[in-house]
Amino acid sequence: MSGSAHVSELAVQLGSGQGWAMIRTHFGIQSFGVNAYMADEPGMTIVGEHDELGEGSGGHEELYFVSSGRATFTVNGDEIDAPVGTFVFVRDLAAKRMAVAEEAGTTIVIAGGKPGEAFTPSTWERNAPALTHFATGEYDKAIEEFERLLAETPDDPRVLYNYGCALSLSGKTKDAIANLKRALELDPDFAELAAKDSDFDPIRNDPEFPSPVAGKAGSGSSGS
Amino acid sequence: MSEKAYEVAHLDELDRFPVAEEGLVWRPVRRRLGIKAFGTNAYTADKAGDRVVEEHYEKDGHEELYLVVNGRATFVLGDDEIDAPAGTFVHAEPGTRRGAVAAEPDTTILAIGAKPGVPHEISKWEDVFVAFGLLRTGDEEGGRRHLEALLAANPNEWQGFYNAACFEADTGNAEAAIAHLRHAAEIDPKALELAANDSDFDQLRDHPEFPA
Repeated sequence: MSGSAHVSELAVQLGSGQGWAMIRTHFGIQSFGVNAYMADEPGMTIVGEHDELGEGSGGHEELYFVSSGRATFTVNGDEIDAPVGTFVFVRDLAAKRMAVAEEAGTTIVIAGGKPGEAFTPSTWERNAPALTHFATGEYDKAIEEFERLLAETPDDPRVLYNYGCALSLSGKTKDAIANLKRALELDPDFAELAAKDSDFDPIRNDPEFPSPVAGKAGSGSSGS
Repeated sequence: MSEKAYEVAHLDELDRFPVAEEGLVWRPVRRRLGIKAFGTNAYTADKAGDRVVEEHYEKDGHEELYLVVNGRATFVLGDDEIDAPAGTFVHAEPGTRRGAVAAEPDTTILAIGAKPGVPHEISKWEDVFVAFGLLRTGDEEGGRRHLEALLAANPNEWQGFYNAACFEADTGNAEAAIAHLRHAAEIDPKALELAANDSDFDQLRDHPEFPA
């Protein structure tokens, strides 16, 4: 739907002075990915290191635009000073990229898409709204969001894994273990992550806890 | 030659192509950086009251997201008027009329657009804007060369020949304008329907060879 909003109205606090605005989701944009990331203080990571080949990524070429403040980007080891008004376009999906705020109140807008293909949201982005509730400890809201996602895609191991995290942290041990087991059946690679994931510490000693089973699936990415 | 992994540019380094008489200046971002997955450009108005987004619908089905990068703009979005200071996003669906006028000097807007459900195709209007932008900044030959390259690359598309006809009409080259318009009409007769009401051709309408 057509409409307008100021970036400050859309910002969700991720904790520790970092914020995220789900621009694409807010407006229901269907043809490209677009989000904004904010840092209240210099020194904060504003775009987490990632490439666009990893699991959960969209395989997108990405355009970063510094709309306020100043950031230092690192792309494939190259440092780029990026004052307000700078565009950094990363076309190489394999390029490792990240950005750190150099000034208080830095905002970076990221747009992305896959050349030659119609846009589809990345798995990371589907999970991301629910993951914002972890920062505020609102696990019930995260659970609601994951249940909405699972109604759409019941066999998505990333959603099941993250759902398990939220259930574990909210004390719903039996359901947490059941969903974690289902995630591991669908994608055994999550076992390594679960073995170190503090989200499962509340239920790790339960005899039903799958063994051996850190961070939430996909939480390391910031993208379009 | 392989493409670089990344590109960097500052807003101040982007080209400036005047688009129309109302002060609108186009600042190509997509073509500068080589973006392929979506369209993106910046638009600048130097003075308050200048146009910063043309009032239009997206006939080719693009949805568009505008970000007021600096300054302040007044948008028209459908029947609504929106005060948009720096940091405002405005989203327009394809069928929604949209446009903006700068409310402060040095207002710049970043626009991102694409068509839902299909791979992004680079809009050919970008080349037409470049050609007319060169003309408006005094580089007539540069603009003509740009259009000729566009026609050579797209020999079966009437729109390129139609725009070349407008270009030649604007620069007083009646015979070249008429030849391009005839060529456009041979590809698609709708070129003549459009030309009948296009003020670019007003000075040629009484020419004995004018086809419309």
